[in-house]
Amino acid sequence: MTGLSLRNLHVKFGRHEVLRGIDIDVAPGQTLVLFGPSGGGKTVLLRSVAGLEPAARGQVAIDGADVTSRGPEARGVGMAFQNFALYPHMSARDNIASPLQARGVGPADVTARVGAVADLLRIGHVLGHMPKELSNGQKQRTALARALVGQPKVLLLDDPLRNVDAKLRYEMRLELPRLLRSAAAATIYVSQDYREAMALGDQVAILLDGRIAQSGTPEEIYDSPASVNVAKLFGDPPINLLPCRPTDAGNALHVAVAGLQLSVRAERAAIGRACLLGLRPETMSIHADARPNAARAQILATTPLHERLVVLLRAATGEEIVASVLGALPPAGAPVWLSADATHALLFDAETGERITAPRAPREIAA
Amino acid sequence: MSLALAHLSKTYTGRHGTPVQAVQHLDLEVQDGEIVALLGSSGCGKTSTLRMIAGFERVTEGSITLAGRRVDTLPPDKRRVAMAFEGYALYPPLTVAENIGFGLSRSLGRDAAAQRVQNVADMLEIGPILGRHPAGLSGGQQQRASLARALARDADLHLLDEPMGQLEPQLRSVLRGRVKAALKSRGLTSVLVTHDQTEANAMADRIAVMEGGVLQQYGAAAELRDRPANLYVATFLGEPPMNAFSATVQAGGLRLADAPDTPLPLAGVPLPAAGDNVVLGVRPHRIRLGEGALSGTVISNQWLGDQAHVVLEMADKIVVTVAHQRVAVRIGERVPFGFAPADAHIFDAATGRALAHGTRTA
Repeated sequence: MTGLSLRNLHVKFGRHEVLRGIDIDVAPGQTLVLFGPSGGGKTVLLRSVAGLEPAARGQVAIDGADVTSRGPEARGVGMAFQNFALYPHMSARDNIASPLQARGVGPADVTARVGAVADLLRIGHVLGHMPKELSNGQKQRTALARALVGQPKVLLLDDPLRNVDAKLRYEMRLELPRLLRSAAAATIYVSQDYREAMALGDQVAILLDGRIAQSGTPEEIYDSPASVNVAKLFGDPPINLLPCRPTDAGNALHVAVAGLQLSVRAERAAIGRACLLGLRPETMSIHADARPNAARAQILATTPLHERLVVLLRAATGEEIVASVLGALPPAGAPVWLSADATHALLFDAETGERITAPRAPREIAA
Repeated sequence: MSLALAHLSKTYTGRHGTPVQAVQHLDLEVQDGEIVALLGSSGCGKTSTLRMIAGFERVTEGSITLAGRRVDTLPPDKRRVAMAFEGYALYPPLTVAENIGFGLSRSLGRDAAAQRVQNVADMLEIGPILGRHPAGLSGGQQQRASLARALARDADLHLLDEPMGQLEPQLRSVLRGRVKAALKSRGLTSVLVTHDQTEANAMADRIAVMEGGVLQQYGAAAELRDRPANLYVATFLGEPPMNAFSATVQAGGLRLADAPDTPLPLAGVPLPAAGDNVVLGVRPHRIRLGEGALSGTVISNQWLGDQAHVVLEMADKIVVTVAHQRVAVRIGERVPFGFAPADAHIFDAATGRALAHGTRTA
């Protein structure tokens, strides 16, 4: 197959197994975002694909060819890093040209290709500058241009926006999908920001403790996380997790938490088991009056987040709950009632952390 | 206790003996029990202001009054200010619990002091590390220990310098609520110094936006959002930032530089004289997709779990829009868009000063 395939990839540092059986497929022009907490093995995985870390077991294939035993320069891989890694004594132009010159590309061809990629990244006006004369945003664009100029089959980007300021990061987040699609490489992009992962990934793979805990579209991972650990990584404010024991309610399970009574669709095997109910803050509502299925609560603090209000509440039964709502709240000090959209509720096994509720079907899209 | 900065200035001597004005004639009042954020990017003067309030930096001009006392000539330990620093500054030989409780048992008695340490540690989720020493802690744990120490103290003013910068974003969003609730329930007067508008918006009753050593605007978050004093404040606050369009005033409306053939009537917005160059500002979530006289080509449509960011290209202009549900438009599709006059902000193109605001206030 075309693109990048990893099969049962293992990497060891001494006796410690850092990657423990990774399977990944990325098609040309597609981006897979590798996401997870630091120490999970993300950078090691990139280095292993690039040929900088030997595989203890398994296979790396590019366009169907097994490259596992090939050196870095023979793999056709482009890389960019969060610390830019530009040669300080070379102009932006020479930095970008370096992979081409290393391959013996002729000067006229080098000039044309550097010019084209610089236009794409809008750095044509700073090609003559030395790295120390470039802003962080320009440095990152230069590093990306260097990764792209050789038209690699595989592009590896290690958290490239980490060290640029928030505004630039946002602009690049908008610009990158188009750029990556036009580069037509199979891209692995490492990120520690779940919004960036959702924005840039055709697929997202969650790497926890050297294993892929879940992979899927951003929507699948947000709506149907495979486990509590995955659910906690996506969403800001984070998902509420409340201990419960589901009871039998005929064709559904009944869950009582924090004074809320919810009917949840899940395997009957979960009846009576210790579970965690996951309620995303944006699926909760706050009301000024009592209503069926709403629980009495007290507002502890309101912390606005962009257009939303993030509200920290204490349920009458004692649990701390975070809701993220649009629009106005009842006046300070007034009693409030809290409700949750049961169709978005997620049930996890308290012991294994695995999701019990069925995966959600893709949501209807409002026109 | 209330805090008043009057005409406060700080001038440093630069490398070649040239004066550098870090803070210029800052007037700021913080009421008793109020949480105020000093917000700005690096070099805006917020940290110099903080250091003058704490007493680490001599004031060049002006005064600082705290709880009715002039404090700007007092040494730091006489000002009754509790601080959480960006660099933590925990005592290395003491445990986390001893750091947090330092000096507390003298004023509260041993049992009450221990109880307070435990409460504040639980709130910040550092209960399990109370017995450890600072050297073995992660940056995020040290930062929470430093914040806990400041919050445990009784003081006239609590100064919090980037108190959550090292924490992972999701922990931050929960701790903000708890810290705010704690400050409010004890009625503590606080000044929060941050470059992170999300933190300022979440925590503060009022926000002072600084840039170039000068206070740009001081008010509640809603006021800064609905009536920004200038283009700097308008585009600094809000995420994604406000869309800014170059435009020329014409009878009853505007003509945008990137859509010169589409006159934009703006009923109800007081505009300057025809022919004047202005900047039109519209916040991303106020752009209406699918209706309006303008149009653009979709270049990205990103769903982030609780909001969609749809980006259009109109001539050379990138237009960012935000919706709270998914939007069914495809990349490459041409879509009309517009906005209500109530959501328009008009700025002077030359000075950036705000000239008019639409009437929306929610």
